[in-house]
Amino acid sequence: MDVFLTSPWIPPEWVRAHGLQPRGIWAAENLQRLPCPLSAGVCAFAESAVRFAQSRAESAAVFSTACDQMRRAFDAAIFRGQRQAFLFNLPATWQTAAAGQILRSELERLGRFLLAMGGRAPSPEQLWLEMLQAGRTRKLLLESARASSSRGFAEAVARFHWDGSFSPPPPAAPADQIPLALVGGPFLASHWKWLDALEAAGGRVALDATEMGELSLAPPLESETVAKDPFDTLFRGCLDNTIGVFQRPNARLYSWLKPRLASRQARGIVLWHFTGCDLWRAEAPTLRETFGLPVLLLEACAEPGAAPRDLNRLQAFVETLR
Amino acid sequence: MNASPRKLTLDEWDDRHEQLRRDGLREPTYGGPLRRHVVRDRNFRLQHLQFDNSPAALRLWNFLLTENQRLHQARANGDKLVGAMKDLGTVPVMAYSLPSMRAFYPDGAWWTPCLMECGDMLLQQAETMGLDSSFCPVRAMLPAFEHGGHFPRPDLLVCSAGAICDDFSAIAQRLEHLGHPILWWEMPRRRQPDSGETACALPGGLSAPKIQVDCVRAELGRVGQALGELAGKHLDDVWLADGIRAANRVRRTLESLRRTVYAAPAAALPALEMLVAEMLAIHFCSDREESIAVLDGLLAEAQSRARRNQFAVSADAARIFWVNPVADLRAMNLLEEIGGRICGTDYMFTHALDLIPEDLPPLEALARAALADPMVGPASDRAARIVRECRANGAEALVVSRIPGASHCAREGEIILQFARREIGIPAIELEISPVCDAMRTGLRSRLQALVEIARDRRPA
Repeated sequence: MDVFLTSPWIPPEWVRAHGLQPRGIWAAENLQRLPCPLSAGVCAFAESAVRFAQSRAESAAVFSTACDQMRRAFDAAIFRGQRQAFLFNLPATWQTAAAGQILRSELERLGRFLLAMGGRAPSPEQLWLEMLQAGRTRKLLLESARASSSRGFAEAVARFHWDGSFSPPPPAAPADQIPLALVGGPFLASHWKWLDALEAAGGRVALDATEMGELSLAPPLESETVAKDPFDTLFRGCLDNTIGVFQRPNARLYSWLKPRLASRQARGIVLWHFTGCDLWRAEAPTLRETFGLPVLLLEACAEPGAAPRDLNRLQAFVETLR
Repeated sequence: MNASPRKLTLDEWDDRHEQLRRDGLREPTYGGPLRRHVVRDRNFRLQHLQFDNSPAALRLWNFLLTENQRLHQARANGDKLVGAMKDLGTVPVMAYSLPSMRAFYPDGAWWTPCLMECGDMLLQQAETMGLDSSFCPVRAMLPAFEHGGHFPRPDLLVCSAGAICDDFSAIAQRLEHLGHPILWWEMPRRRQPDSGETACALPGGLSAPKIQVDCVRAELGRVGQALGELAGKHLDDVWLADGIRAANRVRRTLESLRRTVYAAPAAALPALEMLVAEMLAIHFCSDREESIAVLDGLLAEAQSRARRNQFAVSADAARIFWVNPVADLRAMNLLEEIGGRICGTDYMFTHALDLIPEDLPPLEALARAALADPMVGPASDRAARIVRECRANGAEALVVSRIPGASHCAREGEIILQFARREIGIPAIELEISPVCDAMRTGLRSRLQALVEIARDRRPA
């Protein structure tokens, strides 16, 4: 059974260890095939996730509380009759025992949900194997990030989120392109053409810090020696390595960005967000103030593809950085 | 001093106030003519509102409109000030349990653009700080903090995180980045206990798994420790229990007032004053004892009117259940102008109206109260309570009032409306009310009028 995950912070290895197939819903090529009617303020990604999950009655969907939009998308899914859905309470804080208890209990609860969906109880060895495999793939992806083409890297990460596999992304074409950081929310397959447009305009993504890009790739396990309690290692990995704009305070995000922006020599930030995404949109001034880089806001809307007006803005942004 | 219920303009209140003074009206220290809030504080919106004519309503308005002054005075007197954010009703109960401590919601600045008819420029300033109109009007809080001139800067800022509105969370995060440290505490999204989990009963007929209650209790313990450190005293269970009893006194009085006004065949007090009265529950308008006195006065007035069979809104008015607070206070006048009346409300803080359990350890009781927040649970829980109260109070129609830019409104309005239509089949509409809704007044009036007409048409002949 496919289990569609709406957040990269829900560990796919936990799903796979239950004998089910985790799939990052954002990596589905047909997630946002058509524009969907939205009431004002509804996030198109959240609505697409609801519709996508509804259209796959034989699958299960796991939503997360990382944002109000997705939390309430789960409400909408349930209200519309979705039964095989789970809401994962991802704590916004991480510094306290209480937050840790919530996260641990949610992982356990997700495990019970997966069993109810027909999964098998994972043995510690099986879980450890899945963790090792996922960790190795993440490591390979992280190692390839610097030298890959913008689109190739996005596709490779999406493939990992879709089926857990690794396919080496093509190297970046050597050219005098402006290195930029792409920071923000879900960047879907239907958005990849933005990366082509960016390269055509003379820029390149030196750092893909979207939620589904490098930000979603937790560092590999410290040791490959089998842990005494793999579930505890999984839980601690989630607690320590989740880095999101939704966290409070969101200092982890800025600590993560700082060295990477410097080492990749990013000259500007493209802040990518869906319409209605307050969490990312509000970060624009803070990103500017913290890193002293120009920030261009680009808004993904209900319709897939790049609007001419926004393409024009992106081109102008790159041109001003020349 | 008792006069028949009537709505007065600000001009008419000038005369009425003079008359009341001549008749021997005794006012609290913050009392006086309402006009001064326009002249001194530039609350121009008052010139376009209709007020209840009772001395109790006068006291309520003066209490509300002097909050910032009273907070400045409290600071000058040595009180510690706590800025509670987002939880709407829990942290203030804890803060007021300590002597010489007051809590208020900087969130309340969301009404400042309305009261000052945007003359405060807070929304425009928020835009220059990166928060445009895609965010809820609570963004007014940010420049109010940065530039001062409104509420005093609190000694401690506390904000819940997790299952809260994204726009509020984002604004609070921006506030912290600008140099205002915040104590964040985790509020999990409330859910039904799974089979095999220990269930805890919450106020409002809700339940949550014990693990969530334990989490919130631990988090509130952290908040309590910070409050104690600020006060230089240990916030122990005895003080907390006293604080809960005092908060429940406010809640009981408010419940009596709501029953007297909303459940009766006609409304003894207007919707606008009732909205302000309900707001007192969340942080006592920065003075717990005085808020009790203000509510006692309103309750006595409402009961007296009911006994005299005199009402502020006639029995013929369509009975409307209203969901979410309005960004423009004038909308409540408008509803009554076109023949509607409020018969029940959910202004987003029903958990601050429910009694806090007094038979549990205080932090446990507060944790359960906090988890009963309608905004942290599923929209269907909120919708179920709305439907229950619509039934109990004989609602003939439902209005879901959208707050512009608020992340929760995008979804939950749809769910509440559909749930209500399915369960009780009353006419229901959703409308959006901006901080100064004059430009949309014609459209709003038409929509509300249509709703009222349909509600009346459905009455048995």
